This record gives sequence, C-alpha cells and structure tokens, in this order.
Amino acid sequence: MPEQSNDYRVVVFGAAGVGKSSLVLRFVRGTFRETYIPTVEDTYRQVISCDKNICTLQITDTTGSHQFPAMQRLSMSKGHAFILVYSVSSKQSMEELQPIYEQICQIKGDIQNIPIMLVGNKCDETQREVEASVGESLASKWKCSFMETSAKMNYNVQELFQELLNLEKRRTVSLQLDGKKSKQLKKKDRPKGKCSLM
Amino acid sequence: MPAGIKPLEKFLKKQTSALSRAGGFGDKVGSGGPRRRTSVSRVLPFFRDLSPESAQPPREVFSPDAEETPSWHPGPVSGAPAAASSSSSSRSDSRSPSLSSDEQSALEGSLETPTTATAAWGEAPLAPDTPENLVLALLDSVTASKRQSGSCAEILLDDFMLTHPIFLSADKLQQVLLKEFRADRKSREGCRGFDSADRKQAVLSVAFRYLKMYRHLLQDEGEKSHTFPKELCACVVQDLARYPELVEEVLKLQRWTEILQDQALEESDSKKPVRPLFRHFRRVDACLQPREAFRGSDEIFCRVYTPDHSYVTIRSRLSSSVQEILALVSEKLQYSEEQEGQQGAMVLVAVTSSGEKAVFRPSEDSVFTTLGVNTHLFACEPERLGALVPLPEEIHWSPGDSRLHDMSAEEVANQLLAFDWELFSCVHEVEFVRYVFRGEEARWRPLNLELVLQRCSEVQHWVGTEILQCQSLPKRGQLLRKFIKIAALCKQNQDLLSFLSVVLGLNNPALSRLRQTWEGLPSKFKKQFQQLESISDPSRNHKSYRDLLSSLRPPIIPFTPLLLKDLTFLHESSKTFHGPLVNFEKMHKVAEMVRTIRRYRSSPPNLDTDSTPSYLQTKAFVRQLQVIDNQNLLFNMSYKLEPKDT
Repeated sequence: MPEQSNDYRVVVFGAAGVGKSSLVLRFVRGTFRETYIPTVEDTYRQVISCDKNICTLQITDTTGSHQFPAMQRLSMSKGHAFILVYSVSSKQSMEELQPIYEQICQIKGDIQNIPIMLVGNKCDETQREVEASVGESLASKWKCSFMETSAKMNYNVQELFQELLNLEKRRTVSLQLDGKKSKQLKKKDRPKGKCSLM
Repeated sequence: MPAGIKPLEKFLKKQTSALSRAGGFGDKVGSGGPRRRTSVSRVLPFFRDLSPESAQPPREVFSPDAEETPSWHPGPVSGAPAAASSSSSSRSDSRSPSLSSDEQSALEGSLETPTTATAAWGEAPLAPDTPENLVLALLDSVTASKRQSGSCAEILLDDFMLTHPIFLSADKLQQVLLKEFRADRKSREGCRGFDSADRKQAVLSVAFRYLKMYRHLLQDEGEKSHTFPKELCACVVQDLARYPELVEEVLKLQRWTEILQDQALEESDSKKPVRPLFRHFRRVDACLQPREAFRGSDEIFCRVYTPDHSYVTIRSRLSSSVQEILALVSEKLQYSEEQEGQQGAMVLVAVTSSGEKAVFRPSEDSVFTTLGVNTHLFACEPERLGALVPLPEEIHWSPGDSRLHDMSAEEVANQLLAFDWELFSCVHEVEFVRYVFRGEEARWRPLNLELVLQRCSEVQHWVGTEILQCQSLPKRGQLLRKFIKIAALCKQNQDLLSFLSVVLGLNNPALSRLRQTWEGLPSKFKKQFQQLESISDPSRNHKSYRDLLSSLRPPIIPFTPLLLKDLTFLHESSKTFHGPLVNFEKMHKVAEMVRTIRRYRSSPPNLDTDSTPSYLQTKAFVRQLQVIDNQNLLFNMSYKLEPKDT
C-alpha cells in the first residue's frame, strides 16, 4: 500500500502497560488518563514542516502484546524513527525491549542513521526497579539515545519528540514549539534549515 | 463489450428504494452526501424454481446440532415435502409474475389461485389473520397432523418458523405458546377430534422447532436467553401427573435451557477471541481455517479514521450501535465529555474508496458488515464532513506482478468454490428473510449475508485490479485468458457466485475498453467468453441465468445478489398486512424461496483438500484478495495502459 512519501514515521514500541499511549497522547493531545485501554494500533498525524516543505509527522502507537506480529514487522519496516519505551518501575519491561531492538536491527539492516530513543517512562513512580544509569548504559550499548519521562507529570514528553527529530540526519525535521516552550529547549543545529511543527 | 454503466447494475437492471437501509443517509447532517452506495443487491422479479425435487429430504446446512430428532421425520414424510414442492413447481406458471421487469416473460402466468395453493397444503391455505390467530391455526394444524400421517403441517410449520419475525415478535410468540400449553384445549367445534394431550404435544413441537431455528439469536439475549425453555419446562412439569408421557419433553427442555444458558455465559466471557474481519487484522493462519458464521456478539477490531487520516483501532461487538462505536473512539482519543459537548457530537461516516460518503445515524447498529470492500469508517465533527477524503492507499496504486501467474486456473477456481461454499453456508436461513424484511426490531442483522455480498463485489473488482495492474500487454492477455478459464471452471463447479462475479468483473468498463488486450485474445477464448457472458444477459428476466440454474442439482451456490433481488421484489409486490391481518400467502412464498436455498445447500460439494505449500498459498491468496474498488482509479489505470482516443 502506498505511503505518502513525505511522511515522517515514528513508531513507538514497548511492553504492555509501560505508557506508550500515554506518552503519545500527552504529546499529541496534551491529555492524560489513568484508565488503561490496551492499544491494538493507533496512528496520529500532525503537520510539521521539513526542509522548508510541509510534511506530516506520523506517530504509530503499537500493541504491547504480540497479537499481530505481521503488523509489527510492517511498522518496523516502514518506520523512520523509533521510540522504545520501558517503565522504570518494571525491570521486565526493559528486558522485553531486547527482542524488539533486535528485530528492528534485523529489518533495517544498518541502524546507524536511524534515530532510536530508549525511554524510561513513569519516572514519577516511587517504586523504581530501574535506575537511570542502567537505562543510560543500555542506550550506549545499543548506540542510541536515552531519556526518562513521565507522561503523567508531563515531564520530558515534548523534549522526547524534539530530540528524536533532532537525531534525524537524513533530512531536517523538527518541531518548532510556541514561544513559551521553546525557551526550555536547547537549540541545537540552529544553522541548518529548520522544520517546524505548525 | 458493453461499456458505460456498471456491469452489475446493468445485470440487475432496476433499482428499488427498498434496498437502501431504511431512512437513507446523508440528508440529516446537512451536507447531503450521497446515499450510501447500497449493497449490490437490487430488485428483480422473484426467481421461479423449476428444479425438480431431489430425492433427499431437505436438510438445513446451518443448523445447530440439536439433541433431539427433527420434529418431522425424514422417512415416510420425505416424499411429502418433495411432492408438495414439485407440485408447486409443476404449477410454476401460476406463481407470481414478474411485474417490475419491463419485459414480461410470456412464461409467467397468472397469480396463484387459492385452489392451486390448496394442492400444496392439502387443506385450505391459511387465510389472512392476526398474528396470534395464525399461531393458533398453526397449532391446530400440527395437532391434527399428529393424528394422521402426512406432512401438510410441515410446510406450514416451516413457513411459520421462517417468517414469523416479520409479523410476530419473539416475546409475543413465546407468550402465546406458553399460554396455549397451559390452557386445556379440547377439540373445538368443527375441528377434527383431538385432545389436550395432542394439543400440548403440538405446542411443544412448535417450541422445539423454534428453539432449534433461533437458537443463536436467543443466545445473544444474554440473561434472558433461557427463560423461554425454562418457563415452558416448568409448565410441563406441572402437567406431568396428568400427562406422564411428556417426561421426555421435560428432559429436552432442560437440555435446551442448559444449552442456551451455557452459550450465553460463553458469550460474555471476554476471553473469547476477537475475530478477524477487516483486512489489517487478518492472520494467515486464521484465514486458512474453515469460516465460521459471524454473530452479533462477536468482537472485531476496526480502524476508525479522523479527517487527517489519523486512526485508532477499536475493539467492538459486530452488533454495536454507532453511538457505542463513537464512545469507544472518543475514549481512545481521550476526548473529555466537556470537549465533546463543545464540539458537538461526533458523527460516524463511511467513506468509499472513491470518496462517496454516508453518515450513520447514532441508533444504527451492525454497521461493520455493510461496508464496501475498501470503505473506511471515519469519525468527525459534522462540520468537517466536507473535508473527508479517501485514504491515500485508495487513490494511489503501484504496479506489480500478479501472483496469479503462478497459480493454475483449476486451483484458483477450486479455492473460490471452497471459500464461497463456506461463506454461503454461514448464512442462516432467517438472514435471507431478515435482509429483505428489515423490521423495527433491530435485534440482529443478516451479517453473514452481507459478507457474501461483499465477497461478490470483491471478486468482481479483483478481476479488474489484477488485469489493470499488469503493465505488459502479453501478460495482460494471459491474465485475461486465465480469468475466462476460471469463470468457466466456476460455472462447471456450480459456483455461480464467483462465476458471475468474474464475468461481471471482466465487463467492468475500465477493462472492457482495453481494445488491444481483448483483440489479442485467441478466438477460442473470445467465443468462450461470449458464451459465458450470455448467461449474464439480464433480458427476459434473466432467463439465461435462470435456465442454467434450473438445470443444476445441488450443491449450488447461487448468484446471491439476484436471489436477494427476487426476494425483495416478492416483498414489494404484495402487502404483508391487510390492516391487522397478516397476508400469510406472502409468507408462504417467502418461505418457498428460502426452501429453494435450502435445496441448493442440501449436499456439500466435492472439495479436495491438500496441504502442499502451493495449495495453501493459493488458498490463502483467494481468501485475502487485495482489490481496488475505486472505479475512478481503475479508469485511470486503464487510460495509462491504453490511452483514450482523442
């Protein structure tokens, strides 16, 4: 099935219940809900500008269960950037990311130029099972970036997506946020032409 | 090759308004989007059954494995229904004429007269009467038949069972049966002698027949599902002292109570697997399993899109209302109630691959199975209706090599037959009645029948998609030849569903305009196609098709859109009610048509099975067709292959 060639596709993977949907919805809609509704597959589209053109940021929120392996493989092969989420309150959820990471490598071949962000979500939780240093060390093993977030507290969510886009070297994509928030961001790569979230 | 109007419409000629779902769409929300493209069935005069009765007693293909023997006995009685039907076919010229077609067939004669109808029933036909009186008349008839052999009551019973939802709610029927059981009826003036015991047995016969036929629908009632057999059982138990012979019936009723109760529990168990319906959620392993009938209580996954083509995947019962679907979508999108109030309630819209839109009313239900092959559901605010556009995958395409080149026509035709048989067998008899007589009671919908119609459309568009995607002229020619061969084999297999679907697909105007491709056909194939095509000739009330159909013995898979057209015509051509009285003769005719379908399904086809990889690949391929049904796109593809003459 043909995809729009100017889509920028971000796919979010992780075990069930780590907060993938919460992160995505916090970013896309600014909201948070306590109730847990297992996702099958949802995709959110937002117009951003890119290389002085308009393109669409497409964020795919996937299932944490293994119901649809074909769907999973398809989104891996089509994705441009990946967010691998675990919960800092569950060591197991971090371990479950290993096969996902491996599958991405297998499907993509060379992941050098592929932005991948390892995310430890629920960092507001008091009962921690995974320290930040553990996350950092896994990220450096995988040669990807790392961040801790809390969708609930709205901590680091915008930054997560901003950073991910900054990692993209094959084209210039980024979010330009409104005046207030942009102060909180480090303006890297300023000299390059910027793409902005409208 | 004919061009201009769509092949199926040309085939089915006239359209009637009855076929769009009651109420129509689009008007309510102001934008006045076009009516939903109705499902492919249209109305034509009803089919006249000329097939001689087969020797076997009709068996329901879709029947639950009931514990008890059927309430009529196959042995001595098998001659009788056969006789009745063949006597009705011998007086075929007295069945209702084709009225809507502009070509009156000379063969269709006068209206059925009471005297000939008597011949079928062996006694006076049921005169129009109130629903409740009809139940009583039925009970009288069944009671009488217990005294004497002869199955005149059987046809009446079958007629009643198939059609009663049209004029009698389930609750009411159950009430009347219970009341009649409790009453101590002796023979009434003028009736043949019967006593209370016979009468009670008759009530029970009817009750068992009802349970057997409507079992699955009763199960969907949840808690209430088993109240009827339970209550009836209690009544029988009370009478056991006086009628000890009824003890067997008590056991049977207890069994039924259990069955319905258990199934109802099973339904509510959320561990029941979600069934694949829409293509994103199909799994190869599942599609290779024999197809099971869908029920309203089955859960499916479905994507619902928003105007910017974001989507959420919801999990929903097939029978869910539009309101429920929108609530699920809202929840997923984390719309707060306040937001919704401000925005105005969302609406659910079906958008076809070519951009036609149909808005659902909130109270509608069971909408998933009514969608066209590549029609998608959208949720949006009413104001944004005009902004809805089809998904990119529906308006773009990329050329590719057909996998058909690696499959033999025989393999494909056999797989089409196997799948069509499964799909057709999944349709419960009452769905045919239900499709046409859409009553107020929205308790359940003819889901499996709708899926058969969808399949019809899918196969038609598959033909065009395969050929138009093929860039090379010689390869296109090969595909053309292969499809003609497949059509011929389907006809040979008596799979008239795929047969005519392929033929109509080959007549898609985007295809038939490819002069070079058709001219490259060897004359043998051209001739063959002309012969096959002639069966699709709608003139004289589809005489060619009907002649073919009447020459076949079961198993037959009929071309379902035409069958529904006939049923719809029957519905439209006479009134169901004359005031408060039910026109039971009409019910009888409806039932006759359903019995025809029963005959088609009365013996299974010969299907080879295999488990070689290539067999399984062909099987999976046929069951997971990917088609383009956007006619505009098909035309564009066609123009690219052979540009328009300017």
